[in-house]
Amino acid sequence: MVARAEPVPGFRSALARLFTIQAAFTYERMLGVGFAFASEPLLRGLRRREGGGPAFGAALAREASYFNAHPYLAALAVGALARAENDGVAPERIERLRAALIGPLGSLGDRLIWAGWLPACAAVGLLLVALSAGGWAVLAFLVLYNLMHVSLRVWGLRVGWRAGVGVAGALASPALQRALEVVAPLAALVVGAALPAVLGWFPFRAHWEVFAAAAAALGFAELVRAMQGRATGLVVAAFALAVVVAVGMAW
Amino acid sequence: MTAATVAAVLAVGAVAGLDLVSVPQAMLGRPLVAGFLGGLVAGSPLAGLATGAVLELFAFETLPVGASRYPDWGPAAAASGALAAQRGGAWDAAWMAGIMVVALVFAWLGGFGMLLVRRLNAGHLRRRLPALESGDHRALLALQVGGIARDLVRAAVATGLTLWIGGRVARHVELGWRAPHALADVAVVGTALGVAVWSAWRLFGNGKARGWLAAGAVAGVALVAGMLAW
Repeated sequence: MVARAEPVPGFRSALARLFTIQAAFTYERMLGVGFAFASEPLLRGLRRREGGGPAFGAALAREASYFNAHPYLAALAVGALARAENDGVAPERIERLRAALIGPLGSLGDRLIWAGWLPACAAVGLLLVALSAGGWAVLAFLVLYNLMHVSLRVWGLRVGWRAGVGVAGALASPALQRALEVVAPLAALVVGAALPAVLGWFPFRAHWEVFAAAAAALGFAELVRAMQGRATGLVVAAFALAVVVAVGMAW
Repeated sequence: MTAATVAAVLAVGAVAGLDLVSVPQAMLGRPLVAGFLGGLVAGSPLAGLATGAVLELFAFETLPVGASRYPDWGPAAAASGALAAQRGGAWDAAWMAGIMVVALVFAWLGGFGMLLVRRLNAGHLRRRLPALESGDHRALLALQVGGIARDLVRAAVATGLTLWIGGRVARHVELGWRAPHALADVAVVGTALGVAVWSAWRLFGNGKARGWLAAGAVAGVALVAGMLAW
């Protein structure tokens, strides 16, 4: 039984390296190389054991194989798999666990962060810009976003190390499930408030321009929806603005 | 723009681009942040923030999921923010329309730049494979450092190109604009907000979140009405 307060050997170094987990991203191994780089401080115990050099090398090579997940939640897998290596779990079992973690960690991170927390924080930033908060809007966005970001990495590494091969239980933790339930409504509420508020922030010359811009936004949103699968909103917007620029100059 | 300012903008853009995927994914590369920082080093953080806020609306569409190709907003936003700071003066929608076209194109091209970096990383990985398979931790370090260096160069080049081309295009549009300025106002706000509205609907338009989105929109409209009345 692992005690709750058990220290993680090499924790700080592994945590710092986790911030670079995608630095050597390739389509062949995805996060694999960064995963091994972050795991290395946690595996040093293997090298220090008598005759542990080959075990350390083999573990490191295993950790550098294909891995893909949300970069923040990959910390959970880094901790769990490094713990399994240190505990002498059979390599086949470690590889099965590694493969099993890819889907859930990717899906969880995408829903929690990319489709929830990030839009929510960006909307808070825009809302503050609309309320003339200036540079404080940027600071608030960064602090708010990174509170969750850094907490997830720290939590993931600690919980993964504690749980080892039993890491699946951590994914069902009530706090995580609650966060998943709350984040989408929260983000929807803030984004819903921010977008009209931003409209009021633009320095229009007349009130009718506000209504014209709102109508143009709704029309353009419909155009982007209709173009889905053929072009992204970015491409449609660049093209539309280029046409407007050409018209405005040839007027 | 002085050489020192250009160097500072390139540094901001490079860090913002690096943040997107490589290090540390702390959202320094979001347009709101990169635009502000670009403006800050060029002398007017609020001008940079305004440009960044417009680009942030476009960036709502971007979900940086896994191995998909997505735009790199950081370098384009940093350069646009710096150009806005350098231009100074009041909001000019014609200038903004010009800089937005260039920023959107370079953000989009930034996604292809990332593909190139990933292919170069793969080549480096193949050369280091024997050492990696034998568990040599120095090979890991070399691969990580190589990846970061390539991404840093990519982001700096993207910033430099946006700065160089964007400055010329935006100035040309500002001077050559003949239509009523309301057209540019409506086009810039309509496209940026339109992309954001579609993205919000795609993310939250189904299921339980839809009601929250509507509630937020009602609150936002009330806020705008208050701002207009003020």
